[in-house]
Amino acid sequence: MIRLATEGEGFKPPSAKDFVLPPIFGDNAFTTKPIFLVFLSVILISTFFILAARKAAVVPSKLQYAGESVYGFVRDNLAKDVIGHEFMRFVPYLFTLFTFILVNNIFGIVPMLQFPTMSRVSFPYVLAIITFLVFHYVGVRKQGAFKYIREIMFMPGVPKAAYILITPLELLTFFLVRPLTLSLRLFANMFAGHLLLLVFILGGEHLLQGVIGLKLISPFAFFIGIVLTFFEFMVQCLQAYIFTLLSALYIAGALADEH
Amino acid sequence: MTEPPHEARSSRGEESALWSILGYLISGQIVWGGIGWLIDRWLGTSFVVLIGLLVGMGSSIYLVWLRYGRR
Repeated sequence: MIRLATEGEGFKPPSAKDFVLPPIFGDNAFTTKPIFLVFLSVILISTFFILAARKAAVVPSKLQYAGESVYGFVRDNLAKDVIGHEFMRFVPYLFTLFTFILVNNIFGIVPMLQFPTMSRVSFPYVLAIITFLVFHYVGVRKQGAFKYIREIMFMPGVPKAAYILITPLELLTFFLVRPLTLSLRLFANMFAGHLLLLVFILGGEHLLQGVIGLKLISPFAFFIGIVLTFFEFMVQCLQAYIFTLLSALYIAGALADEH
Repeated sequence: MTEPPHEARSSRGEESALWSILGYLISGQIVWGGIGWLIDRWLGTSFVVLIGLLVGMGSSIYLVWLRYGRR
């Protein structure tokens, strides 16, 4: 309704073009906002955890407690519960993944930054490729290349005729669909969320410039924008969690030898 | 053995397995639906893609059952 009311006034609804940001300086593709956000996130995460771990004490300070609870969450809830007794090897990777995605997602609602890095699809692609390489490497190392592939293609205890149906599915799932869904889920959630916020907040701003009747509607648009910002915060945390959870699950699947 | 209690692990595994089922469901549609679509293009018919999608659905659900259903 709100959008319909404004479209007559020449309101340009936000589109995918709003995600292609010009370089901040210079004239190349490497000085755009998302790149700087990635660097900023790395600096923030490392500073936070170095500070939290520097004066580690038995009775933790508030900072140490905060750092340890994030670490403990990833180690116990994601790595230990999913992977099992070999989990400690993968905690560094999962922990880095989780904090990196989480901070970059939350940039989407931090004032002044307000751009979720992961709404540029190349970043999730790279993360998914890394997870893809990690879990296949783990599987090959654990079971040997031949046995690992055979384990994927021919699950034991299945009637022979069923392999015709199943083997192509397994191959496609393991080598294409898994990394693709992993990256696209993260990308699409961040993209759609940012677009939604743009619609309500830019729409609210545009309504303010209209006639008096539209001005009165404008606060509602802003209000919904604020509500959606909280909703986005939830989605951003959830997506970071799911990406890490699925990485852990895939690693667990590669480690498990099924008899 | 430092293995955590089996009960805790399996319930956790079941809960998180739900997230990885999606991949199987998608690839079932892609593989068999895709093959049906190709046959349709080849023969100039239009119903094989439907059969392919149904076969794909069925076999991906069967596969999910094989992976996570039987214990």
